[in-house]
Amino acid sequence: MSTQISEQSADHNIEEADIRAAREQFLNVVYDEKEFIFTAEQFADFALACGETAPRYTDPSHPDFQAPPTFPASLHPGKRLPDGYPKFNGLGMDAGKAAAPVRPIRPGETVVGRTHVHDIYTKSGRSGRMVFSLIRMEIFDKANNLLASADTSIVIRERPAQ
Amino acid sequence: MTINTLRDVQFGEELPVFDPDTGIDNVRRFCTAAGWLGPRFTDHDAARKEGLPGALVPGIMSQGFLAAMIHRWAPTANITTIDTVFRAPVIVDQQYHINGVVTDIDEEKGQVEIDLTVTNEAGETRVFGTATVLIPTA
Repeated sequence: MSTQISEQSADHNIEEADIRAAREQFLNVVYDEKEFIFTAEQFADFALACGETAPRYTDPSHPDFQAPPTFPASLHPGKRLPDGYPKFNGLGMDAGKAAAPVRPIRPGETVVGRTHVHDIYTKSGRSGRMVFSLIRMEIFDKANNLLASADTSIVIRERPAQ
Repeated sequence: MTINTLRDVQFGEELPVFDPDTGIDNVRRFCTAAGWLGPRFTDHDAARKEGLPGALVPGIMSQGFLAAMIHRWAPTANITTIDTVFRAPVIVDQQYHINGVVTDIDEEKGQVEIDLTVTNEAGETRVFGTATVLIPTA
């Protein structure tokens, strides 16, 4: 089944039915899996550039050296959105990021990022309606332990009707 | 005051203000480490050609500033979640201030919630965030 955006919505606005259809098709389905391996220098440079001072993030010789807590939010999946994801009509932008570290990510360790659409919803404000797509990457070690999750919130601001 | 245990934390406490380094060289260092080497982040002229007011500090770098601020205040704190909303661009080579305030303390869990903002010289909020951190109880 593919998600169809109605003719009207493609030209003017996004119907709630389109949101429901997209939710049914795409929520919580992993659409991308990508392996990563990081260096100690990457972690330390990331941390130091941010002004981090805790040695477990800045000093590769520290016994508990690990990725800074927000590092997972910097990772890109192989595909930004699932194949067939609806192209909502409007202006898109990155509205926010969230990170939730669970276990340390160590340098030299191969980890896997699995990405899914975690939520799709609309909000109405003074400037009109906005469609939010919350993309979540979960990062696992080789034993399939969850190490962290990172959310990207993509917002499409609906174009005014012509 | 450096926070070592939860007993040191007070509800409503303001974290020491942190002025992050948004200089172009530091942003390039960050972008190299993060793999975000787009010219809109590393080159003012290229960013202006895209219609931007100047090179942008990546949102994930602003988020990193917020995390760093927490560890400057409480070096033993473990961040369990940090949620960041990008309200307006943060521009490379401009001055910003980061403020934080303790909004909740759960003594049983050893958990603290902190609201954080990145503001420019005009006092306008460019980024705001909320973090939940665990701090040793003893």
